[in-house]
Amino acid sequence: MAILDRSASPEDINSVVEAWLDQHWDSEKRCAKGEDSYDEKAWLTKVFEAGFCVPSWPTEYYGLGLSQKQSGIIEKAFAKRKAQGSARDRFHLGAITVFKVGSEELKRAMLPVMLTGPICCLLYSEPNAGSDLAGVRTKAIPDGDDFIITGQKIWTSNAQEAEYGMLLTRTDWDVPKHRGITFFLFPMKQDGVEVKPINQITGESEFNEVFITEARVPASHIIGNLNEGWTSFQTAIAYERLIMGQGITERRGKSKADSEPQLITLARKYEKYDDPTVRQKIAQALAYRELNGLNMQRAKQEIMTNGSSSLMSLGKLAMSRVQHGEAAIATDLLGNAALLDGDDYPDAVNINFDAAKAYMNSIGGGTDQIQKNIIAERVLNLPKEPDLDRDVAFRDVKSS
Amino acid sequence: MSQISDEDRQALRDGFSRYLEAEADQEKLRAGIASDRGYDNSIWQQMAEMGLLGIAISEDFDGVGGGATDVALVMEEVGRKLVPVPFASTCVVAAEMIARFVPDPIKQDLLQKIAAGQLTVSIGGTGDFVSLSDDGHSLSAELSGDSWVMNGQVSFVSHAGVADYHLLGLKEDGVDSAYLVTASDAVSAERLSTNDPAQRLFTLNFSDAEAIKLEDMDAEGINQVRMRGVAAVAAEQAGATRAIFDITMEYLRTRYQFGRPIGSFQAIKHMAADLLVEVESGTSAALAAAKALDSGSSSAEKFVSLAAFTCKDAFRTVSAQAIQMHGGIAYTEEHIAHLYWRRARAGLSLFGSSDEHREHYLKSREAA
Repeated sequence: MAILDRSASPEDINSVVEAWLDQHWDSEKRCAKGEDSYDEKAWLTKVFEAGFCVPSWPTEYYGLGLSQKQSGIIEKAFAKRKAQGSARDRFHLGAITVFKVGSEELKRAMLPVMLTGPICCLLYSEPNAGSDLAGVRTKAIPDGDDFIITGQKIWTSNAQEAEYGMLLTRTDWDVPKHRGITFFLFPMKQDGVEVKPINQITGESEFNEVFITEARVPASHIIGNLNEGWTSFQTAIAYERLIMGQGITERRGKSKADSEPQLITLARKYEKYDDPTVRQKIAQALAYRELNGLNMQRAKQEIMTNGSSSLMSLGKLAMSRVQHGEAAIATDLLGNAALLDGDDYPDAVNINFDAAKAYMNSIGGGTDQIQKNIIAERVLNLPKEPDLDRDVAFRDVKSS
Repeated sequence: MSQISDEDRQALRDGFSRYLEAEADQEKLRAGIASDRGYDNSIWQQMAEMGLLGIAISEDFDGVGGGATDVALVMEEVGRKLVPVPFASTCVVAAEMIARFVPDPIKQDLLQKIAAGQLTVSIGGTGDFVSLSDDGHSLSAELSGDSWVMNGQVSFVSHAGVADYHLLGLKEDGVDSAYLVTASDAVSAERLSTNDPAQRLFTLNFSDAEAIKLEDMDAEGINQVRMRGVAAVAAEQAGATRAIFDITMEYLRTRYQFGRPIGSFQAIKHMAADLLVEVESGTSAALAAAKALDSGSSSAEKFVSLAAFTCKDAFRTVSAQAIQMHGGIAYTEEHIAHLYWRRARAGLSLFGSSDEHREHYLKSREAA
């Protein structure tokens, strides 16, 4: 069997991974060979021990020291058999952040736990700290070797399943907002943590509120340094945006180019496809979607040659126009039919769902307006607007 | 398919870009526009020197054998500086028409002269390869002995005043024909007054002017020429869009009001971010069209139309908003913004309107 390191050829890597999966994974039953059902912890532990969880990390940190390209071969082999656990160096945001900015002690203690468990939830936003995330008010008060946490978080996905969350807290109220924040790896499964699902306008409940009342976290679980949480957080958020951006291009890659767009199908069905005004609107909507795809292809190309691309930041903003625009056209195509709801009216249900869901893109992960500020400041180098709270002690900052 | 390597292409672009940066400033642009020719002939000759005029012409005829992507790179640079040279008409559309439909000794002579910068061709009449069709023309071609003669009048012929040849399309009952007429005493050109001072339009009158009839004009060949013309214009617009956007961003960083750069106001930032989406979409669409043409993809038709309306609309929107974002300074004739805005408006009907291309885009998606 070939040794997996930087010098391994793509064929060698592929044959090693395939052989390993043949030996350990039952593609039919979708669980480990010899088992009857999928045991996540046990399976992830196997993957972790083989180094396939985080192949691009160095061997002393549970990886194989491979390049991104080599790691991609492992990811593909796992995906082909629908086996979980690979590419956690690309998608396990909590583990990536601890690996990048955590202390040696935290890495040793927590990376094996995190990599063999569910992904972390993100305890960032609060009812009064949304777009202005550095205004968090969740308190962390030192108590012996621990901190005691009290506060409320919101818009948390996976809060029920997560064993750990990445938590933004306020530890110093007497300095300007960015300088009194501490970032923790916070244990979710304890008294004092209450998770309540949020009912969304789409009818779904993907997000939760998390109420934290005098819960504890060890001081050793600080990610980075005390009161320097904003800096550590920048690493986490940068990876999150990267993952979201990659998601856009990868999802596009999978979509079938030859299937008829939904707008055309609806226009035919509601007998409006011959209307030249409707055709103009549909053509422009399809064009916006196609143009965003072309922009993201260029972004990918630029990332491959230069390591980064400012085009990436446009994808989310452009997608808002696509989604809200398509939902509006579809609603008009249905006419009165869009007023209805229920199982007998699937078109209305779908269209009204899409119209509501479009806000997920235009608000989630930073509103379009915040995204425009970011594009203007970071891509176009336009000067920052003066902040009223920049040099003010956080306890004196005005809030709603 | 292009015969130019990626490295050579980049070097060509960098060289041309540096040259224009040094030689095509606003003062020279305005002087060129005000001159009899309508553009700075030294730029045209330098383009010949750099091999750019023969970029779409085969190596057999002293060209460099480039493809649509190479044409797009030249056009982007031309667009950035608004250089009003007759490149798309002479070096893309006319060169493609001649290469396809003119028989050999004449073909070789004309293409070599185009590549060398010794000859320009204006294009008018009706037909899909004509960028500004004139449905009201009164042209007629008749056989007189062994040769063809042209009579009548046609308008909206770009750069016809200094052109050495006129390529005239006469589409009748859906059937294309085309003729090449040498500039001579039998042809008179009268300049039309235009909204964009850089757009040189003429009415041409022919009285028994000798003509060469193009041969074996097949619909697929004409459509290829049309698409290459559309893609070239789209790339020019994409380049011009980015240039006026960059000029505007620079102004936003340096113009102070209320004690701060106006670019720090969110009302302005949000306009800028929205416009960046248009700028990048224009570049992406122009590039995708050129690539599809070069690879002979069956999606070329779709991508060319997408590029046509995306680049027209982006240029129109960005150049119009550029004036708004500059404020009063761009309401003056001395400021360059209105020259971009006028060029954008002048481009709206080239090879058909945005609405027509949107319809065509939808149709070609259905066909695919």
